[in-house]
Parts: sequence; structure tokens; C-alpha cells
Amino acid sequence: MNLLEFARGPAFNFALIVFVFGVVWRLAGLFLQWRRRDLSKPRQHNLIVAGTRAMLMRSLPPHELEKHIVFQHMSGYAWHIAWFISLLFFAPHLPFFKQFLGFAWPALPNWISLGAGAVALALLLTLVIRRATNPVLKQISTWDDYISVVLTILPLATGFLAYGRLLPIRYETLLALHLLSICALLVWYPFGKLMHLFLTFPSRFQAGALLGRKGVEA
Amino acid sequence: MSANIYEGGTAGLPQFRGGASKTAERPVSRRTDAERLARAKDVILREVDGAHATYLETCIRCGMCAEACHFYRATGEAKWTPIYKVQPLKRLYQRELGPMRWLHRLVTKDVTLKDLEDWQELVYDGCTECGRCDLMCPMGIQISPMIGIMRRALAEADLLPKELAAVAEEQKRDGTVFGVGRADILALVQQLAAKGIAVPVDKERATVVLLTSAVDLKGFQGSLEASARILNRMGVDWTLLSHSIELLGTGESLRELNVRRLVDEVTRRDAAVLILPECGHAYPALRFDSAHMLGEPVPFEVYSAAEYFGKAVQEGRLKLRKGAGEKVTYHDPCKVGRHGGVFDEPRAAIKALGLELKEMESHARTNYCCGGGGGQFLIERAKPLRQRAFEIKMREVDDTGAQAVLTGCNSCRINYLNGGANANWKTPVRSLVEVMAANLE
Repeated sequence: MNLLEFARGPAFNFALIVFVFGVVWRLAGLFLQWRRRDLSKPRQHNLIVAGTRAMLMRSLPPHELEKHIVFQHMSGYAWHIAWFISLLFFAPHLPFFKQFLGFAWPALPNWISLGAGAVALALLLTLVIRRATNPVLKQISTWDDYISVVLTILPLATGFLAYGRLLPIRYETLLALHLLSICALLVWYPFGKLMHLFLTFPSRFQAGALLGRKGVEA
Repeated sequence: MSANIYEGGTAGLPQFRGGASKTAERPVSRRTDAERLARAKDVILREVDGAHATYLETCIRCGMCAEACHFYRATGEAKWTPIYKVQPLKRLYQRELGPMRWLHRLVTKDVTLKDLEDWQELVYDGCTECGRCDLMCPMGIQISPMIGIMRRALAEADLLPKELAAVAEEQKRDGTVFGVGRADILALVQQLAAKGIAVPVDKERATVVLLTSAVDLKGFQGSLEASARILNRMGVDWTLLSHSIELLGTGESLRELNVRRLVDEVTRRDAAVLILPECGHAYPALRFDSAHMLGEPVPFEVYSAAEYFGKAVQEGRLKLRKGAGEKVTYHDPCKVGRHGGVFDEPRAAIKALGLELKEMESHARTNYCCGGGGGQFLIERAKPLRQRAFEIKMREVDDTGAQAVLTGCNSCRINYLNGGANANWKTPVRSLVEVMAANLE
């Protein structure tokens, strides 16, 4: 078994098992915790509407709050969107989805997908430098932040290396490294902050319902 | 005709030192360090539930909450970042309650008493639990309720700042706050009677129960007078409670005890309504949190004074004389506004008074704290920090061009008056209820 076969076979399967089991473990452990029942008389009765509204509206805070966070806020959304465009719409990725899911979708032109990947890479590098130098971010950062960002950057970086054959090694080896970087991301996923993909909307919903009970728009 | 927005209020700045001068610089605990740490941990582990856990698990440490905090905005000091203020709570959660605790026990340090001592400044001096950060977080994380847990944990570990410890001690020992209590209420009632203002005290039955507060008795006696005049004009069947000045206590047990006692007093009178004085901190505790403490909703409606009277204006039960359109701005007390949802009723009253409302850039739910809420105004060493935070407020008020600030919380008024005096800032700060009482039709 060569490195590429290892990456495509046992490594990917192991990563997928850790990912699925870990995510289920963490979500179950979280959502099965006891919750205080709020017995107070609500000011607003439809808390589901309040929570749902917060899930959507939290993306855009009021101007007086937003004006101090424009770069960080917008760059955060931008790299996420760019990262997922390069993952989901880059033509060489689609055969994998077809094989894995049984179906696929049209790819975007490579210049768009690669451009998105480059934007994501540049923003992630900028943000990790900012994290290491900004006093607020430096103070609250943990090993989780750095591991997570490195593991998010690696698939992009190795993808560019493989697609552009930018290192003087065999393409198959570069491709194997790209796949292994994705395996590493999947394995780490349930343990760190990357879990916010599953938790952001429940958290926003909770906040919306809590504040909605008090008659305050979240 | 003028709406008297410049007159009234306290003659001089009251001193709210309580028994602080009687205490040592650093209160001495009679408990061992191990006991204190265990008590603090117990509070955190007991109070953190699935909702807090979801918030703690979702945080991506983006630091945006810092930009919502008046203490960070005023100083640029990273230590005031809201999510940083709950670090010990988060660590304890991760190690003891979280689904990945087996991992976190390997890679994070346990919380120590030294940690809690270090965090005293962050959660008492550098946070007023105003909740502005709760609106900023893109993940929806509600940090201020977790600051509340931290504060209760520190109180149980005998780590209250000395001024708050003195107030708590006075409450337990004498049943008074800032040296005032039932005798002072009765004396004020007599003074009001001499002025022809009837204040029914401790009636066995009443539809509406009114409380006064230690802050009002000490520095803003016009507040009780104003509420009494309005209630009398409305013809409401009401009574003032003299046993329960509005006080909640700084420790977990004292707070719950006081809420239970107060709810019993109001329930015994078959009252439909409890009106809290113009003091913010009791509002969310009684309006929302009391149901949890008691295990059932309170059997009466809870209003803040400005809310109750503003609602009466909205419903046409209270008529006010219109002024000459003076420009005013309204300061939303954090605990009544952002933590209580009271925004429309005070504004309805301002409109009925014929005043021109000039909103601050940050108003209603995004309002900036006055800088001294959550008992912070009592902490002497925090005075420079408080002043810097107040400067944000001053600038926002000045930008409106308003001739006066109206508010519905006398603790906020204290901070405005003190902060304004320090900065030689002349804009008058008035109680909305007092202005209403001065303009009854």
C-alpha cells in the first residue's frame, strides 16, 4: 500500500469514524446536560420566532456595535465562504463527492474556485498573525485556536501545492499529503473550536429565546 | 410651559459608603482556603447548566465582545475583554462538566483560589453586568449571566471587594443598607405627610405594593415622593412596604432569602402589582430570576416605576401636562432595558410630557452603561476606571444636543452626578418619574 492508497483508504476511514463519533459524543454530552427551566412570565410569547430570528439576525449586529468590528467580522465571514467555495465547487473535488455521496453538482470555473481558495488562505494567515499579535486575541487564545487554524490552512496549502505541482516531488505524494491534511482536520474537528459549525445556530437560538422572553431583540 | 427638567433631585452628592469605613482594607475570611475554593467551585458547578455549556462550547475566541465593553472601549486594556472575565468558570466547566472533560483534565490547570483572587478585579471593578457584550457576540453567547455566576462564586469564597462585603455584612447584621432602614422609611413618610402627601404604609391588603430603596432613602428622597404623588393622583389602592427596602444581597443565599421574604410580603397582601423603585438591579432579579429561586412564577406583576407609570400613560390612566418641547435624552438603565425589555413605556411618558427625545447613538438595547452599575459605583479603587467609562456616556449625551438626561434608575443617576462632577459636566440628570410627578395634569 502506497501513501496515496493509505490516505484514501484506512486514514480517511479512521478520520471519518473519529469525526462522526466525536461530533455525536460532544453534541450528545452537551444537549443532554440539565437545563434550568425558565418559569418567569415571558414578555414575548413566541420564543421559537425570537430564537429563529436571532439565528439569522446575529450575523449583522446593529451599527453602533458593528462599527468597531468591521474587519474582523467581515473577514471571518469572507474566509468561511471562500473556503467552502474552494471545497465544494473546485472541479477536481467533485468526483470525490460523486463517489462518496453518490451524487455531485456542477463545478465552478477553476479560476473562481482557486481564487476563493487563495482569498481564504490569505485571510486565514492574516487572522492567525492578528491572533498572535493583538493583545485581546493573544490573551484569550489557547492551543485549540492555533491547532484549528493550522489544520484549516493545511488542506488549502497542500491543495495548491498538489494542483500546481509546486514541490519537486511526485504528484501522487502531494495528493496524498492533501488527503492526509483533510484527515487531520476531520480527526481534530470534534475536539476543538471547529465544532462551532454545529453549535453556532443552537447558541444563537438560545440567546434569541432568552432575550425574547425579556422582550429584547437579540 | 417648562416641564421642569432641570429642577429637583438631590441637593448634594450622597455618600454611599455603607459600612465600608468600618472594614479592614482586605476582609479577613474565617474559612480555610480549601473551604473557600470549594464553596466557589460548588456555586459554579451547581449553576452552570446546558445553556451556559452551549455558550462555552461555541466560543471561538474572536474577542469581538471586547469592543462592546465600555471598560475596554475606554481604556483599550485587554484584561477587560468580557469572555476573559469568565475564564475560571470556563476552565472548571471544561474539566468537570463538559463532554470532553477527560481531555481537558489532561491539558488545563485546575482553578485555584489565587485565580479567583486575581479575577476579583475583573468581575467586580471591570464589569457592571450591563450585558452589552451579550448583543455583540456573533455566536449569541450570553456572557453577563456567567459573570453573575462568577460574582456569586467569589462572594461565597469571601472575595467580595471590601465595600460590597461591608454592605453585605451590614445587611446581615443590622438589616439596613448604607445605614438606612425601616426607621428612615417611616421618618420620610412622616415628612411627606407633613407636606400633604399621603403614603399608606404596610396596609394588610392592597392592589399595588410599592417599594423604596436604600439609594432613594439615602440620596433621592424625591423619588418616593414622586411615586406617591402619581399613585395618589391615579387613585390606585396602594401601600408602601416598610419592612422590605429593595435590596437583594451580594451573596447567593442572602439574595435568595431577600427575594423570598419580599415575595411573601407582596403575596400576603393579595397584591396584583409590585412596583420597584427607580433602581435597576432588583428588576431582572424579581421580574425574571425570582421564578427560578421560588420554583414557580411570582403571583403578581412586577414593574419598575418608570415602566408602570409609562404604561399608565400609554393606557390613558395617567395624564401629564405637556412641556415646551425641551430637548432631552433618555438613559436606559441596563438592568431595566437590556435585561428587562423596558424601552417603550419611558419613551411614551417622555412623549406625553411634550419633550423632544434626542436618542443617543447607543440607546435602548445597545445603550452604554453609566459605568457604575452592578455595585461597581461603591468600589473606591475602581473610581478612575469608572470615570473613563463614563466619559463615553458623556460624549454620547453631548452629541445629542439634549438639555437634560432623564433616566429610570437612581444608581445610574449617582454615576452621572459623580462622573459629571469630576468632569465639570453641567448637563442635568433627572428622574423621569420625578419629572412626571412635577407635571401631573
